[in-house]
Amino acid sequence: MPDLWAGFVVALQPINLLWGLAGVTLGAAVGVLPGIGPALTVALLLPVTYGLDPTAALIMFAGIYYGAMYGGSTTSILLNTPGESATIVTAIDGHQMARNGRAGAALATAAIGSFVAGTLATLALSLSAPLMVRMALAFGSAEYFALMVLAFVMVTTLLGGAGSRLAGWVSLMLGLALGSVGIDGLSGQARFTFGIPYLLDGVDPVIVAIGLFAIGETLWVVSRGPDEDQVLPVRGSLWMTREEWQRSWKPWLRGTAIGFPMGALPAGGAELPTLMSYAIEKRLAATPDEFGHGAIEAVAGPEAANNASAAGTLVPLLTLGLPTSATAAVLLAAFQQFGLQPGPLLFEHEPKLVWGVIASLYVGNAMLLVLNLPLVGLWVKLLSIPRPWLYGGILVMASLGAFSVHRSAGDLLLVAGVGMVGYLLRYIGAPVAPVMIGVILGPAAEQHLRRALSISQGDWSVFLTRPLSAALLAVAAVILLAGIRRRATLQSTDEAQ
Amino acid sequence: MRGVPLGRAVVLILLAATPLHAQSSLTIVAPAAPGGGWDQTARVMQRVLAESEPGISVQVDNIPGAAGTIGLARFVQSERGNPDALLVTGLVMVSGVITNASPVSLSHATPIARLTGETEVIVVPSASPHQTLGDLIDAFKRNPGAVSWGGGSAGGTDDLLVRLLAEQVGLPPSRVNYIAFSGGGAALAAVLGGQVTAAVSGYGEFAGQIAAGQLRPLAISAAKRIATIQAPTLREAGVPLDLANWRAIVAPPGLSDAEHDALIARVTRMATSEAWKKAVAQNGWDDLFLAGADFRQFLLAEQSRVEAVLHRLAATEAAGPPRFTLAVTPTTVPNITVAIFGILAAGLAWSRARGSATAPPAPGWRMAAFLALALLAQPVLMLAAGFIASSTFLFTVAATAWRGARPAAGILAKDTAVGAVFAIFIYVIFTTGLGVALP
Repeated sequence: MPDLWAGFVVALQPINLLWGLAGVTLGAAVGVLPGIGPALTVALLLPVTYGLDPTAALIMFAGIYYGAMYGGSTTSILLNTPGESATIVTAIDGHQMARNGRAGAALATAAIGSFVAGTLATLALSLSAPLMVRMALAFGSAEYFALMVLAFVMVTTLLGGAGSRLAGWVSLMLGLALGSVGIDGLSGQARFTFGIPYLLDGVDPVIVAIGLFAIGETLWVVSRGPDEDQVLPVRGSLWMTREEWQRSWKPWLRGTAIGFPMGALPAGGAELPTLMSYAIEKRLAATPDEFGHGAIEAVAGPEAANNASAAGTLVPLLTLGLPTSATAAVLLAAFQQFGLQPGPLLFEHEPKLVWGVIASLYVGNAMLLVLNLPLVGLWVKLLSIPRPWLYGGILVMASLGAFSVHRSAGDLLLVAGVGMVGYLLRYIGAPVAPVMIGVILGPAAEQHLRRALSISQGDWSVFLTRPLSAALLAVAAVILLAGIRRRATLQSTDEAQ
Repeated sequence: MRGVPLGRAVVLILLAATPLHAQSSLTIVAPAAPGGGWDQTARVMQRVLAESEPGISVQVDNIPGAAGTIGLARFVQSERGNPDALLVTGLVMVSGVITNASPVSLSHATPIARLTGETEVIVVPSASPHQTLGDLIDAFKRNPGAVSWGGGSAGGTDDLLVRLLAEQVGLPPSRVNYIAFSGGGAALAAVLGGQVTAAVSGYGEFAGQIAAGQLRPLAISAAKRIATIQAPTLREAGVPLDLANWRAIVAPPGLSDAEHDALIARVTRMATSEAWKKAVAQNGWDDLFLAGADFRQFLLAEQSRVEAVLHRLAATEAAGPPRFTLAVTPTTVPNITVAIFGILAAGLAWSRARGSATAPPAPGWRMAAFLALALLAQPVLMLAAGFIASSTFLFTVAATAWRGARPAAGILAKDTAVGAVFAIFIYVIFTTGLGVALP
């Protein structure tokens, strides 16, 4: 604890406060833009910060990371176009809330939930980092594979759309197939590339997200004609009502509890924890049928989970020097640029710097809340832009985002193609989120499967003899069977009527 | 619309990144995404060159993909004869050319100089029974499959080192149970958690854990012992092998001898400057400077040894029997996925056709198709007419499509005007603010 106080002394120096403010502002801005994520921003700023004091630069970079987690939710809620893959789950119910006239409440619960989660998770980071590391190291490839199987079952069961689980599985398989395009990470063998060099590096999830959400959504809206595209004006309080507060606070805490440890796992990423949070909230909700039509719990929980997982990511980064996300990898490069090697000795050698960065995360969270709550009213105005111009703007931003990821014209063609697939999925009533989960987690799941089998020399029983992996697979099986049984019961009652 | 935060951000970046106005310019292509070793090399060069040659403007151009071979191919094709372009390369590209069957190889470029390198280290967890490299090699020879080696991506430096090591101790390279992790750092968690027997990576990635006593270094791959590292070299441990993860600079093909000599002189001046040496030390790289004809010799030698081991590996893998039954090969999962997708999609189509559910009404499908065509035309349009014109067009088409009917001339003009203003606004922010070059 005295270390943390010393850290606050560092973080609260005016110059460091200023750098923190610059970081969170910049982060919130890039979180809003599709395609331009925190990793790219930090990488672009790296050479510029060479002359800076390392503490100041790292405080700014950490601010960018948190700010981007915050900003990504805004476009998900208002426009159904997630700026970051971490906010895909938010878009599902958040956008429905916006259509129902509760955009302000959705943005507010996201902002406050992010603040609560960010603060609690940062506290957990300063208290429990060594413990988290030991837990994370117990996760081997077998456990990761089991965890991802569980995620696949959950995403199809929960987001299966209007009663059709089959459609959910079709979407997931499409995502898995897209994810396996390119050079195989384990053998270096090219798959599904058809001799086209462009495909060697695979299909970038960012491109798929922009195509499925921004372009698919626009085509869908256009095809249904202007009469169908009605957004209710904001009704009631701009911010949250008393009832919405009551429905939000528990999901915030649960989201934090899920997000932080999962972020600390070396497989990393915010997609799994947001999905798990959605699943648990739906399970516990008084009105699970409201999920998918604008349930506030479905925004509060995942938003808390994604911010908490961002703090969790810093655990393996600071204690092991192990980056678990693209942004963390760039942060690692930032540490190395200043001649610092994150790892077990960093806390001993540079206590002021490490605790300064951790303390600045608390401060950054408070800044983000102050910055974002007053802006809710402004963001909501985005919905009053005439619809034709709004969709025109979305498409321009989408093509720009797709182009700027690799500065490749091929990506523009791909994003248009994926957009049409997104339209087709909406037309047949299939959910689009499982495609994303498949693209993002599919390659990792396959690699972990093959790594586990390679380590065990081909013995499939590792998935059942390791207790954690067996438990995760058992949960997946239960969810799958329960879903099938419930469907069977539903069908028989239908027939009886 | 995103005025407040973005506005401040733009001001900040503008202040920080105002480009120097200069007559002469140099482009350094980093064939990797920002953040990695090649990118860092390019960016340190950019800084050192800008300091030592005032008035020069140096750009770093990231062309990531396929172990750098996409960047190499584009560099060799589009920069031919340009004496103001350099490409960062390294050992990983030598093997990447082979594993990706790239039509363009490093022999097509003009060698300039090797700059830096990093020694590899073989580690085991501190609780491991293997005390020396000899112990590990004995276990490996007894049962090659039971010793799993963690390291970076397939065909990378870590992979190459273990395969070369296997050959030196008398085992075919295909008998190595190599477990590739994405990036050398990810192997760290696996070896710390005891998931793999040993791990191989650049020394810097494991330095912290070695210093803290959590990992035991068994050997390093450098040719000579390094004073600051408490581990023998492979040669000292009885394996006649050395390997460095080197990084180097090449120029485009088609340069005159004078241009070639001038570039070598220029890079030599940079690599012997104090600022460069300081940056090399700060990043934990080893200075492996080697220029001109000597570097050309070195490059040829590395190409032939890497080619040899990879070809033997490919040959034995193709001929050998599957290592275990129910084997999951690189094609198993993708093929099964596509098969299941096909079956499920057919099932879905059948159940929809049988069911009474009618398709949702789509009165505007013509408009959606029109918009889809405009989107497909974007790549061509953006490259031919530039970002602003193509974006204005896309904006106008989208707005018109949403209205769903042939608009009056006045509305069309208004949409176009709004689209143009928006496109110009975005263009200015991205090109001058974020430094993202747009056509």
